[in-house]
Amino acid sequence: MLEASNVSAFYGDLQALWNISLTIHEGEIVTFIGSNGAGKSTIMRTIAGLIKPKGGNILFEGIRLDRLSAHKIVDLGISMVPEGRRLFPEMTVLENLEVGASAKAASRLRYSHIHWIYELFPILKERSKQVAGTLSGGEQQMLAIGRALMAQPKLLLIDEMSLGLSPIVVEHILQVIQDVSRTKKLTIALVEQDVGIALSVANRGYIIEHGRIVMEGDTKSLQVDGRLMEAYLGVLKEEAE
Amino acid sequence: MKIDLRSILVLAVIGACFIVLPLAIDLGSSTMNILILLFVYIILSQSWNLLGGFTGQINLGFAAFFGCGVLLTHLLWKSGVPIYLAIAVGGLSAALLAGVIGLPTLHLRGAYFAIGTIALAEALRILVGNVFPSSLSLPGTYASNFNVFPRYYLGFGIAVLTMISVYLLVKSKFGLAMVCVRDDEEASQVTGINTFKTKFIALLVSAFLAGLAGGVYSFNRFYFHHISAVFEPIWTFEPLMAVVIGGSGTLIGPVMGSIFLVVLSEIFAEILGEAHLIIFGVLLIPVVLYSPSGLVGWIDWLKKVIGGVGKPLVSEER
Amino acid sequence: MGIFTQTIAYGILVGAMYGLITLGLGLLMGVMKFLNVAHGTFIVLGGYISYWVFTRYGVNPYLSIPLVIVVMFIIGLVVYKVTLSPLLKLPSIGNRLNSSMLITFGIIYVVDNLMTILWKPDVRSIVAPFTGRSIELFGTKFSVTGLCGFGVAIVVAVALYFVLGRTQFGKHVRAATQDAEAASLCGINVHRTYLISSGIAIALAGVAGVIIVSSYSISPNSGLRWLLVAFVVMILAGEGNIHAIVPAGLILGLLEAGGVLIVGAPYRQVVALVIFIVILIFRPQGLFRKRRLTYG
Repeated sequence: MLEASNVSAFYGDLQALWNISLTIHEGEIVTFIGSNGAGKSTIMRTIAGLIKPKGGNILFEGIRLDRLSAHKIVDLGISMVPEGRRLFPEMTVLENLEVGASAKAASRLRYSHIHWIYELFPILKERSKQVAGTLSGGEQQMLAIGRALMAQPKLLLIDEMSLGLSPIVVEHILQVIQDVSRTKKLTIALVEQDVGIALSVANRGYIIEHGRIVMEGDTKSLQVDGRLMEAYLGVLKEEAE
Repeated sequence: MKIDLRSILVLAVIGACFIVLPLAIDLGSSTMNILILLFVYIILSQSWNLLGGFTGQINLGFAAFFGCGVLLTHLLWKSGVPIYLAIAVGGLSAALLAGVIGLPTLHLRGAYFAIGTIALAEALRILVGNVFPSSLSLPGTYASNFNVFPRYYLGFGIAVLTMISVYLLVKSKFGLAMVCVRDDEEASQVTGINTFKTKFIALLVSAFLAGLAGGVYSFNRFYFHHISAVFEPIWTFEPLMAVVIGGSGTLIGPVMGSIFLVVLSEIFAEILGEAHLIIFGVLLIPVVLYSPSGLVGWIDWLKKVIGGVGKPLVSEER
Repeated sequence: MGIFTQTIAYGILVGAMYGLITLGLGLLMGVMKFLNVAHGTFIVLGGYISYWVFTRYGVNPYLSIPLVIVVMFIIGLVVYKVTLSPLLKLPSIGNRLNSSMLITFGIIYVVDNLMTILWKPDVRSIVAPFTGRSIELFGTKFSVTGLCGFGVAIVVAVALYFVLGRTQFGKHVRAATQDAEAASLCGINVHRTYLISSGIAIALAGVAGVIIVSSYSISPNSGLRWLLVAFVVMILAGEGNIHAIVPAGLILGLLEAGGVLIVGAPYRQVVALVIFIVILIFRPQGLFRKRRLTYG
């Protein structure tokens, strides 16, 4: 579904991604794991069009993404829940959701989608007139995910969902994500600091270190392989045991 | 900070020309007047540059300081004070004005500071227009003693003085503080720089120099139809343009920009009259957008292309 | 008693106009953090368009408003495209602000002198049958032009608030203002939103110009005067607080009318200036509290 080949990305003069090549298959849940600053978020932001890669290309269902601006990429069916949620703090829950369906295709069915989101996260319906800045952390994360889902994406990118949330809330949200993935055949790419969460939910994973992919594989083999510990914690497997 | 011998040499050569030329050839009074105006622009633009280019405080009401110098010099000179003293006091009065303005406004962030400066300049213009509604002129005796040479050399001298003071200031530790404030005021505060004091002193010095420019201008004029005209925004716009087009934050930039400005004014004023300002406005926009280091930047680029590296006296990259 | 109500009436009419003048400036500043010092110049330009249509074709200035809106909107699009959008590529907000000031300062000179060439430097105003006349309501005199100006100001302000609050486009504008990157992730074309907002902002300036040329007068360089009024109102309202602009205008109008009552008419602008300085020193964040919410 999505294929990136030899993508390099920069923040100004600083290179953050080095010749990244990866694939995301339709219907799967893929995760990107690695320590802080490894480049996981950078990959997401590059796919989403916030960063223009220099070198390489990204194809989504045959269309080149690396030349498009972010809002056009949303039109194509990729939606991102950004790191830090990035809600519109002075707009209400309802307005945040409405805005989520700004892309052309999504805007037509806006109101039925809002009902769907309310079914997924009933607390949002309760708070629909409340201004987003006054919500709790978990509610905000739910709203952020709901907003991204309003765009009716084929591929959902989630960047660091669990930061600052309690395990119960995270569990609840993960449940919803997995349900949606199954029922709507939604492909999901997840960037996660918490390796446990990542591997419990995903089918496949990539381990990122210093802007490069150091390992990939399905979750079972990743769990067993020592390189995961090494990449994530900077620790050799033997030392950790 | 680098001492660029090449820049100093260029300036020295230009300076020598200015000194020698009028003595060697008879340039004619209109040319001399243009040159005196050029000196006024050099002083004004260099002083605006001190505040805007080096310290990052965009002052859009600079005409207030210039006008203050013009007015006070004229009044003092008319009442018998020797011209050199009158000009000096003109400069000091502008600095005083700056001090009064600076205290409330320098606390403000960029946009509000600029707004405040425009407002104060306009207020001053209106006030002056109300207090001196009719024309101002010097008594006939002054006219009969007229000699363009002292005016020329005084203007030149003050221009040189301006260049030297700005150079010394920028080269000093204070100059480092100024540039830090320009680049990132918050970060500067954290590193212990007293940003308010830095901005305040830069404001005072640049106002003083602008007031001197006003004095030079006043020395060369006997009649003001409406004195409030010297408080008009155009006296902010033209030095600002000279700085931006010439290259802000450099020493040579304002000089080149002023020369460019005066030369083009002379050429276009013949053909277009008032409309020549349109050209400058149109020029300003692409320069701000695409070539922030102005003419100096182009010359650097040219030099690099031809070979050899030339840098402005104080460059933005450290 | 009579002079008291007269002063209040006058202050309200003038104040509404002050609010109208400021809407365009506030919109541009709030949405894109650009300071358009050429705002006054665009006001005057709108006035000239209305004046031209009036003298050439005898069209009532208030009826010329739709035309002025269309023309100024297009001009706003061009100004954005040519001069402002390149600024969005600049790294820091401070940089953007400074550069927008310099650029729009240049625009003042271009447009002011164009207007001088086209319309000569003389002072112009629209003198129509209703100019200078007043109506008596509740025992107080209201000038006809003042009432019309008041009416236009209210209609325009309500329309703007409606667009910003209720329409999809308005939500795009608010989203782009609060978090431009997140807005683009929602599928909003932020550049196009900015483009249209610029058009609207300049069109608002144009409408203000129509009111000014009918109630007062204009000349090619008179823009600065109205720019300063807009600055004062904007500061009273608080930065980015578009909803507070008309109330802030009313407050300025009332304060000014009251001040003039005390010190006399020739010092009107001094009163405004004193208010300005006092606010700058004591309450630069404006009189109105904007609900500033953080999350996370």
